[in-house]
Amino acid sequence: MLLSVENLEVKYGNIQPLHGISFHVNEGEIVTLIGANGAGKTTSLHSICRLAPPEAPRVIAGDIKFRGESILKTSPSDVVKNLKMALVPEGRHIFGNLTVMENLELATYSREKGADLKQEYQRIFDLFPRLHERRQQRSESLSGGEQQMLAVGRALMTGCTFLLLDEPSMGLAPRLKYDLFRTLKRLNEEGMTILLIEQNASLALHLAHRGYVLDTGEIAAEGTSDELLGNPDVKKAYLGG
Amino acid sequence: MLVAIFQNIINALQWGSFYALIALGYTLVYGVLTLINFAHGDIFMVGAYIAFFVATFFLTTVGVPGWVALALTIPLTMILTSMVGVALERVAYRPLRRKGANRLYVVITALMCGLILQNANLALLGASRKAFPSMITEHVYNVGGVIFTDLKIAVIVTTILSFFALQKIVTKTKVGMAMRAISYDKFAVPLMGVPIDNIIVVTFVLGSGMAGLAGILFAMSYPILDPYMGALIGWKAFIAAVVGGIGDIRGAFLGGFLLGAVEIMVVAFFPSTFRDLIAFTVLLVILAFRPTGLFGVAKTTKI
Ligand SMILES: Nc1ncnc2c1ncn2[C@@H]1O[C@H](COP(=O)(O)OP(=O)(O)OP(=O)(O)O)[C@@H](O)[C@H]1O
Ligand SMILES: [Mg+2]
Repeated sequence: MLLSVENLEVKYGNIQPLHGISFHVNEGEIVTLIGANGAGKTTSLHSICRLAPPEAPRVIAGDIKFRGESILKTSPSDVVKNLKMALVPEGRHIFGNLTVMENLELATYSREKGADLKQEYQRIFDLFPRLHERRQQRSESLSGGEQQMLAVGRALMTGCTFLLLDEPSMGLAPRLKYDLFRTLKRLNEEGMTILLIEQNASLALHLAHRGYVLDTGEIAAEGTSDELLGNPDVKKAYLGG
Repeated sequence: MLVAIFQNIINALQWGSFYALIALGYTLVYGVLTLINFAHGDIFMVGAYIAFFVATFFLTTVGVPGWVALALTIPLTMILTSMVGVALERVAYRPLRRKGANRLYVVITALMCGLILQNANLALLGASRKAFPSMITEHVYNVGGVIFTDLKIAVIVTTILSFFALQKIVTKTKVGMAMRAISYDKFAVPLMGVPIDNIIVVTFVLGSGMAGLAGILFAMSYPILDPYMGALIGWKAFIAAVVGGIGDIRGAFLGGFLLGAVEIMVVAFFPSTFRDLIAFTVLLVILAFRPTGLFGVAKTTKI
C-alpha cells in the first residue's frame, strides 16, 4: 500500500469537514474520489500533501501513512522531495508573474543537481505543445485551459511518481479534457500512481481502477470502478440516473 | 558651472548609493512577504557598529595592515549583519506569520524590533558616539576642478555591482524564482518542493547583508557612529523604495539615486536646512502622480 488514510478527522478552526475517513491507494493504481461540492475532497488532498493552515486543516485524529509510515510530521516540501508526491491544486495556482518556462523550472527545485531534465521538459512539451509555443510568455497571460496544462506539467516536473489531481479538467474544452485523460492513462501505464478528483464522476470512474464516494466528510461507498458504476445509489446521486 | 554640476552629480550618486543599498533590503522583504521591515534602518546601524568592532579587532588586536583589515571586515560584517536580520525573522516575524497575524501587528512588531535594536545598542555601548577607525587612506582627486575621493567612487561602484548581482539572483536563479513565486502565490510554493522558510531566510540574508555593506561604506565615509544613525536614513531609504515602486528592485535602486539627486540639488540652490523639507515634498508630488511608484504595477506582482 503506497498511501493510506486512516480514520482521518480534521478541522478548520471549529469546522470539521472530515469525520473519520479511510481510504488507500496502491502503487500503480488510479483511484478517484467523487462527491458533491463541499464533501471534503479538496480537504483530503490538502491534508495528504501536509499543507499548512490556513489553507489546509489541522489533523485532530487518525493518521496518514506513506508506505506504512505516518507522514503527519512531514513538511509539504518534503512530501514532494522525498515521497515524490505532487499535487495539481484546485484552481491551478500557477505563478502568473513567472514565465511558463520558469514555472516548470521552479518545480525542479528539490531535484538532484545535474539531473538531465532535457527529456522531461521535452515530454511536457510533447504532451502540451501549446506550452512550448508560449514558454517565454508570462504565465498569467495564458488562457485558463493553458494554465491548467501548465499546472499539470509543473507537477510532473517535480519528478513525482504519485500524482494527485484536484479537478484538473476544470475549464478545459471537451477535446482537451479527453486529451488530458488520455495523458493520465498513459502516465499510469508508464508507472505513475494517480489519485484523481473529478466533477464528472462517470469520466473519472471510466479512467480509474477503484473509487471512493465522499459524502459530507464520510466515505459513503467504495469499490472497483465497475462496482461503483453499477451501484444504484451512486448512479442516482452522481451519474445522473 | 559645469564643474559644479559634475561635483553635485558625484555627491548625489554617493548619497544615492547609501539610500539604494538600504532601499533594496526594504523592497526585497516587502516583495516576498508584503512585510514592511521597519527595523531595516536599524539593521543598517547595527551593520555599521559590527563593522566598527570587526575593523577595530583586526587593526588593533590582530594588528594587520589596513587593506587586509578592510578585505576581512567587509565580508564578515555582511555575514554578521545577515545573521541579525535572520535572527529578527526567526524570533519576531516567523511566529506571527505562523499564526496568520494581522498586518497591523506585524508592522508594529517591526517598529518595535527597530527600537529594541537602538536601545539595546544604547544600553550596551552607552550614548557616546564612536569614531570609526580608518583602514585605508583616502586619495583625493581633482579632475578639472571636480573633486572626488577614491572612496566615493568605490561606494558608487560597489552599489551598482551589488544591484546587478541581486538582479541576477532574483531573475536567473531558482531561489530568485521561488522568491518571486512566493510574492505571487504563497500557497502553491511548497507544492513545488520549495521549503518556503528557507527562501525567506535567504531573502533576509540578502537584504540585511546589503544593509551591512551600506553600514561599512557609510561608516568609512562619515566615521561617526551613534545608535540613532539608522533611523532617519532608514526612513528615507524606505521612502525611496516606495517612490521607486516597493517590491521592485529596479525601483528601489533608482528611487535611492533619485532621492540622493533631489537632496543634493536642493542643497545646491537653497539653504541646507531646506534639504529634507523640499526633498520629501518632491517625493510626495511624485507619489501623487504615480501612487504605485515609478516601477510599481498596481497590485499584481512584486520583485
Ligand atoms: N480553508 C478553509 N477554511 C474553512 N473551511 C473550509 C476551508 N476549506 C474548505 N472548508 C470547508 O470544508 C468543507 C469541505 O470543503 P472541500 O473544499 O474539501 O470540498 P470539496 O469536496 O473539494 O468541494 P468542491 O467539489 O466544491 O471542490 C466545506 O464545507 C468547506 O466550507
Ligand atoms: Mg474541491
